[in-house]
Amino acid sequence: MDNHTVIETIDLRKEYKRDEFHVIALQKANLLIQQSEFVALMGPSGSGKSTLLYLIAAIDRPSQGRVRVLGQDLQELSDKAIAQWRNENIGFVFQTFNLIPVLTARENVELPLLLTGLSKKQRIEHAQTALKLVGLEDRMSHYPRQLSGGQEQRVAIARAIVTDPALILADEPTGDLDAHSAHEILTILARLNKEQNKTVVMVTHDPHAARFAGKIRYLEKGELLPEGSSPPI
Amino acid sequence: MWKYIPFAFKNTLRNKRRTLLTIASVAVSILLLAVLIAVYHAFYFREGSPQEALRLVVRNRVSLAFALPEHYEQRIRQLCGVREVGSLSWFGGVYIDSRPEHFFPRFATDPEKIFLIYPEMKISAEQLKAFQSERTSAAIGKSLAQKHNLRLGQRIVLKGDIYPTDLELTIRAIFEGTQGSSDNVLYFHRKYLQEGLPQRRQGYVGTFGILADAPESVPRIAREVDDMFRNADRQTKTDSERAFQLSFVAMLGNVKLFLLSICSAVVFTILLVSTNTMAMSVRERIKEIGVLKTLGFTTGKVLAMIIAESVIVAMIGGVVGCSLAYLVGMGLGGRVPMMSSGLLIPSVVPTISLAVAFVIGVVSSVFPAFHASHVPITDALRHVG
Ligand SMILES: Nc1ncnc2c1ncn2[C@@H]1O[C@H](COP(=O)(O)OP(=O)(O)OP(=O)(O)O)[C@@H](O)[C@H]1O
Ligand SMILES: [Mg+2]
Repeated sequence: MDNHTVIETIDLRKEYKRDEFHVIALQKANLLIQQSEFVALMGPSGSGKSTLLYLIAAIDRPSQGRVRVLGQDLQELSDKAIAQWRNENIGFVFQTFNLIPVLTARENVELPLLLTGLSKKQRIEHAQTALKLVGLEDRMSHYPRQLSGGQEQRVAIARAIVTDPALILADEPTGDLDAHSAHEILTILARLNKEQNKTVVMVTHDPHAARFAGKIRYLEKGELLPEGSSPPI
Repeated sequence: MWKYIPFAFKNTLRNKRRTLLTIASVAVSILLLAVLIAVYHAFYFREGSPQEALRLVVRNRVSLAFALPEHYEQRIRQLCGVREVGSLSWFGGVYIDSRPEHFFPRFATDPEKIFLIYPEMKISAEQLKAFQSERTSAAIGKSLAQKHNLRLGQRIVLKGDIYPTDLELTIRAIFEGTQGSSDNVLYFHRKYLQEGLPQRRQGYVGTFGILADAPESVPRIAREVDDMFRNADRQTKTDSERAFQLSFVAMLGNVKLFLLSICSAVVFTILLVSTNTMAMSVRERIKEIGVLKTLGFTTGKVLAMIIAESVIVAMIGGVVGCSLAYLVGMGLGGRVPMMSSGLLIPSVVPTISLAVAFVIGVVSSVFPAFHASHVPITDALRHVG
C-alpha cells in the first residue's frame, strides 16, 4: 500500500445474524482504489453494494477483514473517533437526498461544519462556496420542499463536500432522478473528481451513470468480482 | 455547544401544531402548579409584617369556643417583654342576612389598645378619637368599606348569634390594613357588648392579643403566660400569631398533603403526556438521525440535541404558564375570601416553574432520545417513518 491508495479492503466480510436468519451480505471483498479514481460499483439488488460502501465509510463495522481508508485502519478507531474521522474525510451522498426538511439549503450544507471549529461567518462562507460549486447560489434560503429532486441532490452534494473530504461515497445518487437531473449530478461528481482530485466511489444500477466512472467493479451475491470481470447477467 | 441550539429550535417547528399543543399542556400544568404553590404559600409561608412576628395570641387551652376571664389581662401585662396587651372576642353574628357575601370578621375589642397592638393598621388621629370616644362606634377596614359601600357615620346592625344580643353600631373610623385580611375586619367596643349580656356571661373575652418588645421575647412570653395559668381553672394556650392563624388552616384538614398530592399528580401527568409526544416526534426522525450521524454527529451530540429541543419546548410552556399564573393571581383579586388583594404569586414561583419545566423537558425526552440516538446508522438509514 502506497501513499496514493485511498481505499484498501482485505478479505472483508459482513454477515447479518438475527434470531433465525443469517445473511452473508459481503464476503472476500478485496478492493483497492487509488487517489483520484472514479469507481462505479454495480450489481444486482442485494449483492452487497451498499454494505461495502457503508464499511468504507465506517458507518458499519465488518464481521471480518480489514478496511484501510486514507491510511487509517478503521477498526482502530472508537465510535466517537470514527464520527469525527467521517466528518473530516468522507462525503456521503444518498439516493434519497436526505436533507433536513426544517433547514434551508444553506443551513443543510452548514450542518457538517457545526462539528468543526469554524466561526459562524466562516461556516456560512464555506456553505455558500459549496452551493456555488453545484450551481445553487440562488437557492440558498430555499427549504428542501421548495426544491426539485435534482436541486435537492445538488444540495446534498454540497453538504458532502463542504468539509472538503478527500473521498466521496455515493449510493445510487441518481436512482430517484429523471435522466436530465441525473446527468447534471453525474457531471458534478465527474467534475469534483477531475478538477478537485476527489476520489469518488459510486453505487449505481444505471449503465449510463457508470460510464462517467473510470472503472467499474461488479458485485454478485455478496462477492466482489475480480477487476476486469464482465458484468454478471 | 450553543451553535447547536438554533438547529434544536428549528426542530421544534417541524410539527407546529404538536409543538403548540405540547407548549399549551405544559403551560396549563405549570399554571396549575404555580397557583397551587401560591395558595400553599398564602397558607404557610406568607411573609408577615414585622409586627406580626412580635405578636402572640392567648386562647383557652381547651378550644377557641371557650372564653378566658378578662382579669388575665392585668397579669399578662406584668410579664417582662409585653409591650401591649388587649382582648379580642369573635362576635360572629349576622349582618343583613347570612349569605356568604355579607360575612366578615367582627371583633369586640378594647378601642384604646387595638391600634397599638396592630400598629400596621393606619388610622387618622381624629377618626381614632371618634372611635374611642363613642361607646357604640365601629372601626372598619378600607376594603370592607369599599366592598359593602359603607361610609363614615353610617349605622349598621349586627344580629347576635354566639352572643344573645343585637348591636347597633355607627361607623366612626375607616382604617387601612397592610394586607387583605386585616383590612376586611370590623372592630367595636367590648364594653358595649358586655352591657347587652346577662350577668353570668360578663367578664369573659375570647382571646388576648399581645405585642412583644422583640421577636426573641415571643417564645418566652408564650411559655410564661401558659405557665402562669397552668393551675387556674381556665388554662391558656399561647401561640405566635402566625401559628394561631395556621391552626385555623389545620381545621380544613391536611391542606398541605392535599396540595402536594395535586401538584405531583399534575406534574406526573404532564410528564407522561410529554414523553409520549416526544417519543412520537423522535420516532418519525430516526432516518434523519442516521443522516446526522453519517455527517459525523456522535451519539452524544444527537442525544443532547433532542433533549435540548424538548427542553426548549417545555421552557416556553413554563414561561407561558407562569405568566398566566400572574394574570390569574391578579384576576382573583376581590373574588375570593381572604384574598381581597388578589392571590399573591410568591417570588419563588418563576424559579420553581422554570425548574419544573426544565425537568419535564429533560425527563420526557431522555428515554426516546437515548433510544433514537443509539439506533445503528445502517438501521436508522433503512428506517421508514
Ligand atoms: N441491517 C441488515 N439486516 C439484515 N440484513 C441486511 C441488512 N442490511 C443488508 N442486509 C442484507 O444484506 C444483503 C446486501 O444488502 P445491500 O443493501 O448491501 O444490497 P445492495 O447491493 O445495496 O442492494 P440494492 O441495490 O437493492 O440497494 C441483502 O441481502 C440484504 O437483505
Ligand atoms: Mg443499496
